Amino acid sequence: MIEILQWSTLAICCAAAVARIPSAVRGENRSLFYIFVLATLAILLSIDGPYIAIDRLLGGTNVANLILRFVIFAVIFFIGLRFIRGFGAHEARRWLLGLPGLLVFGVIAAVMVVFFIMMDSNGSSAGLVAVSQRSERNAQLVEYYGAAGRAYPAYVSLVLLPAMAKAVASRLPVLVRAGALLLAVGGVCLAVSLLFPFIPAQLQSLRFIINYGAALCFVLGLAAFWAARVRATQSNPRRSSTAK
Amino acid sequence: MPLPAKAFQRWLHGIAPQASTADICRISGVKRTTLAQQLVRGKVAESTVVSISRAFNINPVAALAAFENYGELGGSPMLPTAAELVSQIATMDLLKAVIARSAESSRAGDADQPQPAPPLTPVPHATSVKNWVDAIDDGELRHRVSAATGIAPQNYSAQLTANRLTPELAIATAKAAGTGLTGGLVASGMITEAEAGWPRGARQAALDALSDGELAALAGDRLQSLGKTLKRQEQDHEQTKTIWENLG
Repeated sequence: MIEILQWSTLAICCAAAVARIPSAVRGENRSLFYIFVLATLAILLSIDGPYIAIDRLLGGTNVANLILRFVIFAVIFFIGLRFIRGFGAHEARRWLLGLPGLLVFGVIAAVMVVFFIMMDSNGSSAGLVAVSQRSERNAQLVEYYGAAGRAYPAYVSLVLLPAMAKAVASRLPVLVRAGALLLAVGGVCLAVSLLFPFIPAQLQSLRFIINYGAALCFVLGLAAFWAARVRATQSNPRRSSTAK
Repeated sequence: MPLPAKAFQRWLHGIAPQASTADICRISGVKRTTLAQQLVRGKVAESTVVSISRAFNINPVAALAAFENYGELGGSPMLPTAAELVSQIATMDLLKAVIARSAESSRAGDADQPQPAPPLTPVPHATSVKNWVDAIDDGELRHRVSAATGIAPQNYSAQLTANRLTPELAIATAKAAGTGLTGGLVASGMITEAEAGWPRGARQAALDALSDGELAALAGDRLQSLGKTLKRQEQDHEQTKTIWENLG
C-alpha cells in the first residue's frame, strides 16, 4: 500500500518534470521545471531501494538523507518564492526572503547538520530506521534531526497559508483557485507533520500518507496553475501574445 | 424551481397532442439530448417551456402560468414602472440620449424637426438584472427576498453581479417589491418585453420622460459602475497574468 503510494507519487512527479521539458527548452518559467526535477529527486531519495543504492555510492553514511532534507528545503523554498511572486503576497515575502526568513532557514539548517554529525550514521537505511535502533542516544538524535527537517517546510507553509487561502477565495479562474487549494492542503499536511512524534506507533502509515499526500498536493497544485494557463491561452488566442 | 416532468408532459400533450419529441425539438430548437436529460431527471427547465411555447405561438408567460409553481403569472399583468423601464435601457443608449439631447439644445435655434431617436438595444443589456433590482429596491428588498426564498444574500448578489437570475428568484424578487411579476423574467432575458406585455416603445417613452438632470445623473451612475467593473476586470487580468508568468 505504502509502496504503491511512493512509486505513484514518484511517477507523477517524474511525468510533470518530463512534460515540463518543452516549455523549459522554450525558456518559459524554467524554475518550475527545476522544482519538478528536485521534487522527483526528493521522492526518489525517500524510497527504500533507490535511497540505499544512492547512499552506498556516497559512502554509506546516510549523507543521502541529509541531501534529501536540503532538496526538500529547496523545493519548498522555490515553490514559496514563485507563489509569492505570482500572487503578489507581499506580506509573506519578508518571512521567506527577508532577514527573518533567512534566519529561520539558517538556524534550522545548522541545527539539523549538527544533529546529523553527532549521530553515528553509518550503514545506509532509509528514514534512518536502522540508525535510530542502534542506541538510545541515536534514537533521540534521529528524532530531533527529523523534527528539524520537518520544521522548515512547515514554517514556509504556515507563512504562505494566509495568501493561499486568499487565492482560494478570490475571483480568479477556477483552475487557479483549485491549484491554490491543493497547495494549501499540501501546506497543512506539512504543518501537521510537525506533530509526528505524537502519532502513536501503530499509526505509522499515517506519516507516509501525510508526507506523500503533501508532495502530491504540491505537484498537482503546480500542474493545475499550468493547466489553467494552457486553457486560458488556448481559449483566448488574443491574450496569448501578452500572457507569455 | 424547475418544472416537474410529469406536468410538462401533460402540458406538452395539451398543446401538441400529435407531435413526437423529435418534432418538438426540431420546431423549437431545443436540443434533443437536453430535453431527454431534463425528462430523465424529472425536472424540466423553464427555458425549455419558453422555447417550445414560442415555437407553437403561445405566450411563454401564459405557458409558464399553466404550471402549478408559476400559477401566479396567470393573473392580470401589471405594467412596469418607469424606473423598471429605464433600468432596462443599456448604458450606451443612455449616454447616446445624453449626447442627442445636448446636440438638440444647441440646435434649438434652427427649429428643425427633432431627429427620431435611434432604436434602443433590445433587453437584456449587460447589467440589466442588477439595474432592475436596483430600480425596484426600497433598501430592504434583498433582505426580504433572501428571507422569503432562503437564498443566502451573498449567493443572491453573486447572481445579480453575474447578470443572471433564476426565474424563481426573478418572480420572488418582483413579488417582494410589489411590482409586475414578469419584470425580472424580462431583465434576465428569459422572455421579451412584448411577451411580458410591456407596451411597444414603453422604454423609449420612459427615457423621453426623464428630465435632463435625471438622465445625466442616471447615465453618470451607470458610467461610474461600468468604470468600476472594467477596472476590476483589468486588475483580475493583470493578476492572472502575473500568476502565469510565475507559475504557469
